[in-house]
Amino acid sequence: MNHTLSILLQNEAGALVRVAGLFAARGYNIDTLTVTATHDPAVSRLTLSLQCDEAALGQILQQTRKLVDVLQVAHPATALAA
Amino acid sequence: MNAPALKAETTTDRHPLAGHSMSGAEVIVQVLADEGVGVLFGYSGGAILPVYDAVFRHNATHTCVDGSAEEVREPMRLVVPANEQGAGFMAAGYARASGKVGVAIVTSGPGATNMVTPVRDSMADSIPLVVICGQVGTAAIGSDAFQEAPVSNIMGACAKHVFLVTDATQLEATVRTAFTLARSGRPGPVVVDVPKDVQNATLVWQGRGELALAGYRARLRAVEQAVLGDTDCAAFFAALLQAQRPLIYAGGGVIAAEAAEALRAFVDAFGLPVATTLMGLGGFDSTDPLALHLLGMHGTAYANYAVEDCDFVLALGARFDDRVAGVPDKFAPRARFIAQVDIDPAEIGKVKRVDWQHVGPLKRALERLTAYGRVHGLKPQLAAWHAHVAELKRAHAMNYDRESALVLPYAVIEAINRHAQGRAVVSTGVGQHQMWAAQYFDFRAPRHWLTSGSMGTMGFGLPAAVGAQFAHPHKLVIDIDGDASIRMNIGELETVTTYGLPIKVVVLNNVGDGMVRQWQKLYFKGRFAASDKSLHKKDFVLAAQADGFGWARRLERVDELEPVIADFLAYPGPAFLEVMIDPDAGVYPMVGPGASYAQMITGDFIPARAAAAARKDSPSHMF
Repeated sequence: MNHTLSILLQNEAGALVRVAGLFAARGYNIDTLTVTATHDPAVSRLTLSLQCDEAALGQILQQTRKLVDVLQVAHPATALAA
Repeated sequence: MNAPALKAETTTDRHPLAGHSMSGAEVIVQVLADEGVGVLFGYSGGAILPVYDAVFRHNATHTCVDGSAEEVREPMRLVVPANEQGAGFMAAGYARASGKVGVAIVTSGPGATNMVTPVRDSMADSIPLVVICGQVGTAAIGSDAFQEAPVSNIMGACAKHVFLVTDATQLEATVRTAFTLARSGRPGPVVVDVPKDVQNATLVWQGRGELALAGYRARLRAVEQAVLGDTDCAAFFAALLQAQRPLIYAGGGVIAAEAAEALRAFVDAFGLPVATTLMGLGGFDSTDPLALHLLGMHGTAYANYAVEDCDFVLALGARFDDRVAGVPDKFAPRARFIAQVDIDPAEIGKVKRVDWQHVGPLKRALERLTAYGRVHGLKPQLAAWHAHVAELKRAHAMNYDRESALVLPYAVIEAINRHAQGRAVVSTGVGQHQMWAAQYFDFRAPRHWLTSGSMGTMGFGLPAAVGAQFAHPHKLVIDIDGDASIRMNIGELETVTTYGLPIKVVVLNNVGDGMVRQWQKLYFKGRFAASDKSLHKKDFVLAAQADGFGWARRLERVDELEPVIADFLAYPGPAFLEVMIDPDAGVYPMVGPGASYAQMITGDFIPARAAAAARKDSPSHMF
């Protein structure tokens, strides 16, 4: 199933690489990825989409939250459904 | 986004050096000093020279006196290995044995890349390290400069976190934050990559302040403040009281969380038997009647049968990894209720669905459950289960051919164990000798067992023993190694004698990669591709003597075993014992890859409960 994640990230050297690297290392294929600035120059927003099942999605969310540079991970579809 | 208040701002004490001018290198050393770092492991080189010079000057101007007035030592001892990988495992051994953050300092390029293995090893086993790497100057980064490597990229994939410090004014807060990150939550290695110009920058020492890391700190606070409410406790005990055969599955989290005493109190209160993972050994006294010792692929038969039989599992700081739950569906197949406590939310239900969970500090969770159960007079009636466990331990005890004419590794470990009695710090390499040590030693307290559990890094044992001996100068430290494992970092034999460490090094020599051969016998029709070392020429005893070991012997005869081991362990300095063991000795029991515990092979000397299903070649993709 297609999932879209929204990640707020500290705008530090290597932060984007770490998010992309986590997905690669754990075998999740990113379909689309957009990085945008936010009103805070120290924070970027990553929007990415990928195909995975619900169990894998849970792991991805938890593993992404372990990245020190990550401020917030949201799965808007879950938030809307909740 | 509101950054939380910086941690150090809550103290009103002003650092005595605040406002002083310092170089970046001096700032690093001062943060280490403030963090109480008494020993550093590392190897110098071009891009880290300013930091090494600052350590030298720090030690020259700050002497500290130990005990007797005559014994003056350096406040920040610098231990130099043969190879940076050695420094990394020394720092890891120090951290594992002491519970403190281990610190390693290396140069750029090859210094940093040699450190990758210990960093990944420490990540996989949740060991707190701070690694300072020199880096080429900021202007040269990305230019393929001499000894340049993309450390933040490389380490970013295997450390808990990496900082590349490009703004010198952030250096002090960054190094301080690295310690907080390494030891907080689920511990792990943190790498700080410091370009040489940042080390040479002129800075003003603040004496306080950390990086905000708003996301990490908010998540950490949520986990650390999580409490087990009455409803959680009631649900837990409702399930426990329905169980007839409850079991604790205790992992390395018990040790990382300093929760061994709380576990002891919980077991005293409710009587659950305890099986420990390889990383959890020492988390519960293995000589206790309720201790089942090791579970998993090479666990004791009685632990694995107890897992088969149990109807309730309480997983404590354990993650159902493939060496324990190789086939998750078949792990604890009769368990009607699985409860899990972990500090890492990502581990809850990762492998096995759980019925009850708590994400939070393990010590507090166990204390809370114990208190709740006691107050409400909740006590499972487990007499029948205790009798069953005792019978499993009696009927399926560890055993081997005690009449063997060849020296057997099990007998060697048992003989050493009779002297050590669970009080020695034991490190290992990886392979058969590691499993024999795990199976045949007694483990009575945490932080006495140092082994590369998740990564399985050969060459871990010797440098880890060096680090442990610095953590505990007066304890007996024994490296149980294999002939192949010790070769990986054999340069560190010289480090042992350089620093006069009374480490006891045991090489169980079976002339090859024993565990690989065991798998080749089972799954590759005995084709010993690249695992036989009978053409290797090394004389280990001569090698140890050449490196300055005052006691170095080879043991080949069974009747010499007891006196030689007594002599070896009694030697006051560095001692090296090579034991020529039966090269066909196997590790039993064994739960093969893809097999369930019921299919465990127990070998010729441990009675199996039912004849293990005959197994032909296992698919070779099952690692």
